[in-house]
Amino acid sequence: MGKRTPVVVLSSSDDEDEGGGRRAASRGPSARRARTPATAPAPAWATSGPRKKARRVSIAERGRRRATGPAPSASLKAEFDMLSEDFSECLNDIGMAGSICQTKELWVDKYKPHSSAELAVHKKKVEDVKKWLDEKLKAPKGTFGGWTLVLIGQAGVGKSATVKALASELGVEICEWTAPVPTLWTEHLHANSGLRYISKLEEFENFVEKIRKYSLLSPTSIGSKRKLTIILIDDIPVTSGKVSFARLGKCLTGLIQSTQVPTVISLTQYHKSENNDTAMWNSEELESLLLSAGAHKIAFNPVTINSVKKILVRICKQEGSDLTEELVHQIATSSGGDIRHAIMSLQYYCLNPRRLNSGLATTAILPGLRSSGTLVPRQDSYDHISLIPTPCGRDETLTLFHALGKFLHNKRETYGDVDVDVDSFPLKEKLRRNPLKMDVPEMVLSQAHGKVRTVADFLYENVLDFIDDDAIDDAWTVASYLSEADCLLAGSPISSARWMVNESYESESMTQLIAASVAARGVLFGNSHVSSSRWHTIRSPRVWQIEQSFRSQKDQILRERYDYSSTSGSRNFADLVTEFKPSERWICHRDDMPRSNSLIHNVETSNSEEDEDVIEDW
Amino acid sequence: MAASSFAPALADAYEIPWVEKYRPTRVADVVGNSDAVARLQVIARDGNMPNLILSGPPGTGKTTSILALAHELLGPSYREAVLELNASDDRGLDVVRNKIKMFAQKKVTLQPGRHKIVILDEADSMTSGAQQALRRTMEIYSNTTRFALACNTSSKIIEPIQSRCAIVRFSRLSDQEILGRLMVAVAAEKVPYVAEGLEAIIFTADGDMRQALNNLQATFSGFRFVNQENVFKVCDQPHPLHVKNMVKNVLDGKFDEACSALKQLYDLGYSPTDIITTLFRVIKNYDMAEYLKLELLKETGFAHMRICDGVGSFLQLSGLLAKFALVRETAKAS
Repeated sequence: MGKRTPVVVLSSSDDEDEGGGRRAASRGPSARRARTPATAPAPAWATSGPRKKARRVSIAERGRRRATGPAPSASLKAEFDMLSEDFSECLNDIGMAGSICQTKELWVDKYKPHSSAELAVHKKKVEDVKKWLDEKLKAPKGTFGGWTLVLIGQAGVGKSATVKALASELGVEICEWTAPVPTLWTEHLHANSGLRYISKLEEFENFVEKIRKYSLLSPTSIGSKRKLTIILIDDIPVTSGKVSFARLGKCLTGLIQSTQVPTVISLTQYHKSENNDTAMWNSEELESLLLSAGAHKIAFNPVTINSVKKILVRICKQEGSDLTEELVHQIATSSGGDIRHAIMSLQYYCLNPRRLNSGLATTAILPGLRSSGTLVPRQDSYDHISLIPTPCGRDETLTLFHALGKFLHNKRETYGDVDVDVDSFPLKEKLRRNPLKMDVPEMVLSQAHGKVRTVADFLYENVLDFIDDDAIDDAWTVASYLSEADCLLAGSPISSARWMVNESYESESMTQLIAASVAARGVLFGNSHVSSSRWHTIRSPRVWQIEQSFRSQKDQILRERYDYSSTSGSRNFADLVTEFKPSERWICHRDDMPRSNSLIHNVETSNSEEDEDVIEDW
Repeated sequence: MAASSFAPALADAYEIPWVEKYRPTRVADVVGNSDAVARLQVIARDGNMPNLILSGPPGTGKTTSILALAHELLGPSYREAVLELNASDDRGLDVVRNKIKMFAQKKVTLQPGRHKIVILDEADSMTSGAQQALRRTMEIYSNTTRFALACNTSSKIIEPIQSRCAIVRFSRLSDQEILGRLMVAVAAEKVPYVAEGLEAIIFTADGDMRQALNNLQATFSGFRFVNQENVFKVCDQPHPLHVKNMVKNVLDGKFDEACSALKQLYDLGYSPTDIITTLFRVIKNYDMAEYLKLELLKETGFAHMRICDGVGSFLQLSGLLAKFALVRETAKAS
């Protein structure tokens, strides 16, 4: 009870700054040690402090006054925080609560990188970002353009973390945008209190507008030394449909062209866009738009397994947990280069009661996971046959690979054909197979947690490597079964339409199950002359690459088409390609130009003015 | 208050679904998926729940474990410190931006190491726009509010959210696990049963605990006795033994018997979809040569596809049997 006191005191003084107050009060001894002296903006504060400011860029002054009382400056408040923190720490030392306090934060927050050395991102990328920031911070004001950096990468590769860590190193403040709690649409409709409905896009526009207007008035110039700021835009509003996307695009383009403060926009890339409707959120489109507006781009690759592992091991050591190396490795591998998810999983996996820990270790040891990438399954993975490691990662592919390995290597009992047939039903010699050295295929599949489509694609891509070179009959059989599985998967137009709307789980599940077992069993059955166990890599299906490029091409063409004319009927895509593309070449007098990506940027910059207007009308 | 004192009298008149009645209230009681459950138990004891995505097929205890976890973590303050939204609630972009955010900003006094919890059931039905809006909220308020998402397929959750959560995968329950829990309900409700009846229930449930309990209750309240017959009557599924005999007849070359068995089933009023679903399950578990199994599965798959297309005639089913026979002929050693 006593240790809640500081919270009460604090929260009475700043009623809005809830996050910071709680954090300060509940900070355990260990976290405090990590803190830098109170006068400098401590990293932990850097996350919560500026964010609050960001919400009221223009009214920062007022907010601050409310937070600390009229006269005293920020340093006094910090001092007070320190005092109360010491107080609570003392109480913690008296009481037993140390361990509980330690576990209060998410590890992702707790082990947030504070310096560039701690980042898991590749050194060169960090250097690139740092160089850019340095350059821009020193550059003279008053020039337009070139103040924007776009960070592109998958979720959780450390885009924002890099910026934050670098900012705290350079002693720069970060200004982020946080959308305030909005009015519900229904509230707006039914309440007469004059609540106005503001969409997130509008708020974002307002924010950008403010940045553009007030960027020169530094809102934080309270002390004598004016602090430098970076604007970090992390949370680009979701747009649906062409109109709002165009608005967003216009807004961002304006920002890029007119900002005079270093601005970092972080864009999340999706590598499989089948999950999210492409029309709604098209990061590729946004990316090219930003680039064409003159932003500098740095692409982040997924974090390498080794650096993920290094960080995980470090955290393990600090937490004093005794996870086996294998499990750590497994988490690192299956995270697919997503450091945040890896830490999340680590936290989850460290939750073990002791007995469980040992039990899990035995299951986790088995797969030889020394491979460098997720796409390389190990030869020895099928030596331990009935066990599949606990699936932990965001990435489903790892467990999937064990299943695939089993199907492809097709291990069978070697003893002669003792009565295989239970029905005492004599089969032709050619169709007889020895029993499998594994569980029923359906069981293996259900343990793999993979999607059927993925399984089938992978099997198709890789099965030929595993068939003996001379056994062309086998290849026939396998191919025919796979094609049938594919047909089952695609299913009837009705069921595929149902699948699109992602209706009931049950109705689609049966076709899926059948298709999966036909694919798996077909491969098992057909591949009767397994090639000697050489070392094979399992490739990811080429179909995927083709589909991906198909999507991007399609997007490009559609976009070009809309750039030119807005009198769109709902022409179908084939018409566009066959009629519009050739004629467009005539119109533009650019027939000497190779069809390349650069084309599209040219197009956009040249008519950026008119096409925005056009789309808005439309 | 009054209701509880009358409860014994009312018990006959009004029964709550057994699924609710026997829903475990403690994480430790959740059946199956022992690894995941053990970890959740540790969370329940120590607090500091990370953001979680629980994914798995229906009826495997995702919602149950997350509710139990929330109750164990928060105890009496459950009402104010948990926000539970499922697919039936409005969960569009607005709600995520407003309701969830408001909740995340709300101040609730909790024990140290405990956090407010937002439970989003059936999260895969949220639009990706709403999920996008969630992602920042999740990050900013992580020191006061944690999220638990339950979904059937984790890949329908957008990547940034997946990245912010630890993923807990649930898989279908084994027959033993379901049986164990059924026995608890049977003992508590004093259900008269024979072993085959329970077996039938487990067959119909197919690894789905919710369905198993529902079927048990339905059978009990309909017939007051659980045996095979009653179970399949209540669940309105073709009797698998019957179907199994049919397959066996085909494989033994007794095509006439098989056909009459099919006719019988069809005349009982089962729709082709019902019949083929049972057929698939039977074949999956039927012990036969690998080639036969593969071919039969394949043919069943195609027949199912046609039936889904709307060609659900008796002819299709007979044709399926004929194809089975053909497969047998080609496979037979001369």
